Amino acid sequence: MKIAAWICLLLPLASALAITIAGTRIPRRAAAYVSTLTTMGAFVAAVVAFFDMWSKAPHARAAATTSWTWLSAGQYHFGLTLLVDQLSIVMMLIVAGVGSLIIAYAVGYMDGEDEERRFFAYMSLFVFSMLLLVEGGNLLLLLAGWGMVGLSSYLLIGYYQERASAIAAAKKAFVMNAFGDATMALALFLLIKVTGRLDYAGVFAHSPHGGTTANLIALGLLGGALAKSAQLPLHTWLPDAMEGPTPVSALIHAATMVTAGVYLIVRTHVLFENAYIVQDLAAGLGAATLVMAGLIALVQTDIKRVIAYSTMSQIGYMFVGAGLGAYPNAMFHLMTHAFFKALLFLAAGIAIHAVTGEQDIRKLAGVGKLMPFTKIVFLIGSLALVGIFPFAGFFSKDSIIAAALAHGTYGAIIWVACIVGAFLTGVYAFRLYFIVFTGEPSAFAREHFHAHHDKEGPLSMLWTVGTLAVLALVGGFLQFAPVWHPLTDWLAPVAAPITDPSNTQEWITSGFALAVGLAGIGVAYVLYVARTVPVPKALPLFEKKFYWDELYDVLWYRTADAFSRMLGTVIEVPLVAGAISAMAGLAGASSRELSVAQSGLVRTYALFLAGGLAILTLVFLAAR
Amino acid sequence: MANFLVWVVWFGAAFACLVSALAVVSFSNPFYSALSLIGNLASLAVLYLLLGGEFVAAGQVLVYGGAVMVMFLFVIAYLGDRTDESPWSGGPSWQVFGAVLAGGAILAEVIVVVGLKAGNLLSQPKHIGRSFGTPAALGRLFLTNHLLAFEVTSIVLLIAAVGGVVLGAHARELGSDARA
Amino acid sequence: MHGPDIQWYVILSAILFTTGALGVMLRRNPLIILLSVEIMLNSANLLLIAFSRLHGREDGQVFAISVMAVAASEVVVGLGLIVAMGRRNVELDVDKLRTLRG
Repeated sequence: MKIAAWICLLLPLASALAITIAGTRIPRRAAAYVSTLTTMGAFVAAVVAFFDMWSKAPHARAAATTSWTWLSAGQYHFGLTLLVDQLSIVMMLIVAGVGSLIIAYAVGYMDGEDEERRFFAYMSLFVFSMLLLVEGGNLLLLLAGWGMVGLSSYLLIGYYQERASAIAAAKKAFVMNAFGDATMALALFLLIKVTGRLDYAGVFAHSPHGGTTANLIALGLLGGALAKSAQLPLHTWLPDAMEGPTPVSALIHAATMVTAGVYLIVRTHVLFENAYIVQDLAAGLGAATLVMAGLIALVQTDIKRVIAYSTMSQIGYMFVGAGLGAYPNAMFHLMTHAFFKALLFLAAGIAIHAVTGEQDIRKLAGVGKLMPFTKIVFLIGSLALVGIFPFAGFFSKDSIIAAALAHGTYGAIIWVACIVGAFLTGVYAFRLYFIVFTGEPSAFAREHFHAHHDKEGPLSMLWTVGTLAVLALVGGFLQFAPVWHPLTDWLAPVAAPITDPSNTQEWITSGFALAVGLAGIGVAYVLYVARTVPVPKALPLFEKKFYWDELYDVLWYRTADAFSRMLGTVIEVPLVAGAISAMAGLAGASSRELSVAQSGLVRTYALFLAGGLAILTLVFLAAR
Repeated sequence: MANFLVWVVWFGAAFACLVSALAVVSFSNPFYSALSLIGNLASLAVLYLLLGGEFVAAGQVLVYGGAVMVMFLFVIAYLGDRTDESPWSGGPSWQVFGAVLAGGAILAEVIVVVGLKAGNLLSQPKHIGRSFGTPAALGRLFLTNHLLAFEVTSIVLLIAAVGGVVLGAHARELGSDARA
Repeated sequence: MHGPDIQWYVILSAILFTTGALGVMLRRNPLIILLSVEIMLNSANLLLIAFSRLHGREDGQVFAISVMAVAASEVVVGLGLIVAMGRRNVELDVDKLRTLRG
């Protein structure tokens, strides 16, 4: 199992290095296949590790393996430790499994790009970083992986480096994530100060219960989780990150990296339970995000941005789950979300690919008529997203919402928010579906649509999407809380839930969520298919994405800009520049005066020497 | 008696030394100055003998008073008679005043040090053996304690010789240019 | 020790040094300046040998011989410069050589 874990971690790294070192010596396709096969190899290794783990007794399943002391500072020693337990194996399977599907998809999607090799090297690097994040046996390695997924995300968002908007989006993502990394690092410093160690078991055993320190630690970790998972108030980078290629959006900004925040909360749930206020805050922020993102998604016109906002919204659900202490439910939703959100992105990618890269849904309108397969898989993804029985989202999302019901008054408020969010999900998901995939093709779509050898796309794109569609269809049956719950049992030794809704609450919630989801679909149908009611004019508040970008612009950019200008006029010009010219003037004037002494008469120089000697001797005499 | 004789020799040598030094500085013709310097060096050699520096005294007369000064005289003869018409003039107005002041200050300070601060530190020389200052003693020191200084000195001499050759060659080139 | 004590030598050396220094500072003829420098060097040599006698060790004399060697080098270079000046028909007057004036 340990060997399998190492292979799983190192195969993608080897692939990234090999592609980088080989450079132009290998054909572009070869880079794609190397990346795909190594990620699949990592998945196989994860599966092997999983079955190995399954064969053991529940309490003996976790295993840590240290290769060497990675970092040693004074009395602190941090090993290069991998921790393979029930939680990380789930993440490994998701990351390597969905990752290999998406990278295989990219073989077709990225075909013909100029810098395919760079893309696949980055993708492999990302898979390695993400695996390091989930497999790391202490918080330091987790932070290293955390930073490296941020780096790969930055590199991949800015993959189209000739586009200024892509570069700006990459920088935005990097800066916001760096903020989260910083708060997380501060939390780790506090942990080192309080407990003197960073391995999970040690930290959990020694960290304080309640009090300011515990709250600060949890707050710092939460800051990292919010930034990485694009939750309020550090969410503005995710929609812009759609500048990256579609497989990147699917893998990093939907299926894996953005859910790392949820993984972090579940992984360090003990620290959050020690600071229950912060944990409640996480749930509250998740609820606020899911409603806000749903509202914004209603009016977006870029197909990928709509899905991005839906990602934010769905991660909001996961934060609600993790914040309320329903860890298995959050992890379950993380998994099903990885399936159906990757599916949505990749299906959207097929449509975009077929229409020469157009992403505006008004121009894409009706393209589904020309692509029946894509239409079906997108419908499956949308149904799973909305949470319609028997698709995956129904099982996972509803169990999270149900957990809110089991959490007192605060939970009731969140429950209402979640139900509203479910309704919004129905509306925006099917707005997208109805506009893009039903109805008559628009002029633009007809004109620019081009089939790929009589198929809707390259084979590698179709079979991966098909696989994901099957997963989105059946993935939910892994757990149906009122009846069977293998995932909860599996995760119990690592992350036992502290909130467990009763069966009644589950049934009630499922009924409500299903009803409002269907209602949302109905509204979308009335507005965009039947068109019996005119589409309401979009509120500027939604179109401007609740003015978050403008707020940050005023708060940080303009303030800093004004402050710098003030410094420029008040400090720099008179003081700094003035000091420089004054110094130059002083030097010039004094050297002009002193140049008189440089008469060129050697004898006078000798006289000065002798005079100096006389004075020095006098000084020594006086000093004795 | 012996002591008195030594005093007489010392005074004679010191007087000659000072007079010749003043002559070196004062003659307007460098040829006479150079000749006076030979006298100065010779009288210093006498003082070295009184201080037990036999080898240094011999070297002073042979190398300094002989070889080096001959070179001086050669150069002066080569350049011809260039008697300075006004040897002391020139430079800023305070040059003479400042020079005398600085020189006087240094001298006064040394005398003050010797007279007031040194006490009888300077009047109790160590006893010395018969071998003091002999070539053998100096040679041993040169090849043991001061080997590095010895070697460095030889390199300095070599560099000076090369420099002299280069300067001479350069001057010869210029001269031929001027003639052509 | 017979004859004068070391302080006499020191004072004689100081007078010699001052005389040489005055020569350097007051004369314009580079040849005479060079000769004055020789006087200064010799005054230092006298001190070295006198203190060598005072301490009963020959190291001072070793230094004096080294100084002589350095003085010889200095004379070679100095005379070389003066010869070069003479060859270029430059007047032998250090006050005329003030190209480096500030």
